[in-house]
Amino acid sequence: MNLFQSVTSALDNSLAKDPTAVIFGEDVAFGGVFRCTVGLRDKYGKDRVFNTPLCEQGIVGFGIGIAVTGATAIAEIQFADYIFPAFDQIVNEAAKYRYRSGDLFNCGSLTIRSPWGCVGHGALYHSQSPEAFFAHCPGIKVVIPRSPFQAKGLLLSCIEDKNPCIFFEPKILYRAAAEEVPIEPYNIPLSQAEVIQEGSDVTLVAWGTQVHVIREVASMAKEKLGVSCEVIDLRTIIPWDVDTICKSVIKTGRLLISHEAPLTGGFASEISSTVQEECFLNLEAPISRVCGYDTPFPHIFEPFYIPDKWKCYDALRKMINY
Amino acid sequence: SVREILAELTGRKGGCAKGKGGSMHMYAKNFYGGNGIVGAQVPLGAGIALACKYNGKDEVCLTLYGDGAANQGQIFEAYNMAALWKLPCIFICENNRYGMGTSVERAAASTDYYKRGDFIPGLRVDGMDILCVREATRFAAAYCRSGKGPILMELQTYRYHGHSMSDPGVSYRTREEIQEVRSKSDPIMLLKDRMVNSNLASVEELKEIDVEVRKEIEDAAQFATADPEPPLEELGYHIYSSDPPFEVRGANQWIKFKSVS
Repeated sequence: MNLFQSVTSALDNSLAKDPTAVIFGEDVAFGGVFRCTVGLRDKYGKDRVFNTPLCEQGIVGFGIGIAVTGATAIAEIQFADYIFPAFDQIVNEAAKYRYRSGDLFNCGSLTIRSPWGCVGHGALYHSQSPEAFFAHCPGIKVVIPRSPFQAKGLLLSCIEDKNPCIFFEPKILYRAAAEEVPIEPYNIPLSQAEVIQEGSDVTLVAWGTQVHVIREVASMAKEKLGVSCEVIDLRTIIPWDVDTICKSVIKTGRLLISHEAPLTGGFASEISSTVQEECFLNLEAPISRVCGYDTPFPHIFEPFYIPDKWKCYDALRKMINY
Repeated sequence: SVREILAELTGRKGGCAKGKGGSMHMYAKNFYGGNGIVGAQVPLGAGIALACKYNGKDEVCLTLYGDGAANQGQIFEAYNMAALWKLPCIFICENNRYGMGTSVERAAASTDYYKRGDFIPGLRVDGMDILCVREATRFAAAYCRSGKGPILMELQTYRYHGHSMSDPGVSYRTREEIQEVRSKSDPIMLLKDRMVNSNLASVEELKEIDVEVRKEIEDAAQFATADPEPPLEELGYHIYSSDPPFEVRGANQWIKFKSVS
């Protein structure tokens, strides 16, 4: 299955197992703009898979309402760029519900899915990566998969998790490649980073699409510089797996973090700050962040904007020679 | 102009937003542009209307949005403000019956978009009839200019193609429906028939206009593909208004761009 099919499979499993689960969002009934919900309405009925009008704030608020009664709400925000009208509902209402009611109420059965990241032709409002805005908000979980197999397991974990979760799906990967994905449900634990490739000289950390970029950089480094890289997929942005990253940095002494979102205030800054606190004496070089520029996501300049393998490789080389 | 629009779509520096905006972001004098979040422009329109009233230059603001966007909360916030402060704002809902893939019956509890303003008077206008739209707009502008406050217009129209590049346009409606509208209610065709039938123009004269327009579009398309893209240095321009130019951090600590505005 490819990524959008693995999402459909996860949603299918959820609706089958949990009679209270409902899916709603803009245009999800016919299958969704990325075909993630194809066939679900026919299979489970129009009162479980339905379209909403064009109102993100309303969609999330409505989802919180469903979740508070105990039913499982799976909301879709058509593009991560459109999540901002719903920002208040997510940050002020969903994230704080359990806290402010002293655990009397919660909207843990809410999951928000949204296509995320650059896609080559998305321009300003179809390419954003807003995970950093949500990382600043205790009470929600933010998860980003890198592949079809990861997506299904992580999505099922988000839906079953007793906290409101945001699941960002890298849209450029929807049809990119296919993997063997089991039809039965399975879970991948949240808040656990995965070491995809072990190494000894540099730690490379990324999430979503960027994981594939740094994996390529790792093989370039091996080939051209004889450098052995440890590649880590963070998977859950908050709460993030501090231990795995720190353990790796203690081993290698060098860290490079990469994401498409702008540099200033991007999530790499949180990782960088924490790692230098925990592993200061183990660091051989300053922590390197290879990210998008501090500009709105550009239209025609996209190929120059994204942190491609050459920029990452360059930063890695400078770190090795520090 | 047509050239600027096509060049903006292809991201060239001759485009109306210098190639930096793309398809959703066309701007021109007195045309305050398109927005990523549909509906976000409506409170903006109300604000511009306030400025019009304040400046006392007898200007009005036309704020357009679609049937899909009509369900956004911020539009109702704008209605309230405009009516409360009697702003010279003409709210125009372009009802083409589909919000991308969702038909109006499935998205709106009330498809009488002209009534959605509640306390704002509304007109329903046949958007396919050019003269009708002109007269309605004339009326609406006069209404606003007389200081009575905002007014709402619903233009009933249709969309032939899909909403965007990824929308084929036929998965949620039949081809027959599209063909029917195209053959019976196409605005250009209706105007042509009217002009020819009342002897205001001959078929040949109209054909000449057709040929001219086609040439203009051809030229514009040529320009859009031939014009150079904006130079890379402009990546960092116009983020802030700042004097002197400041530096924009790039993909890693060794890449910096200058930001000028």
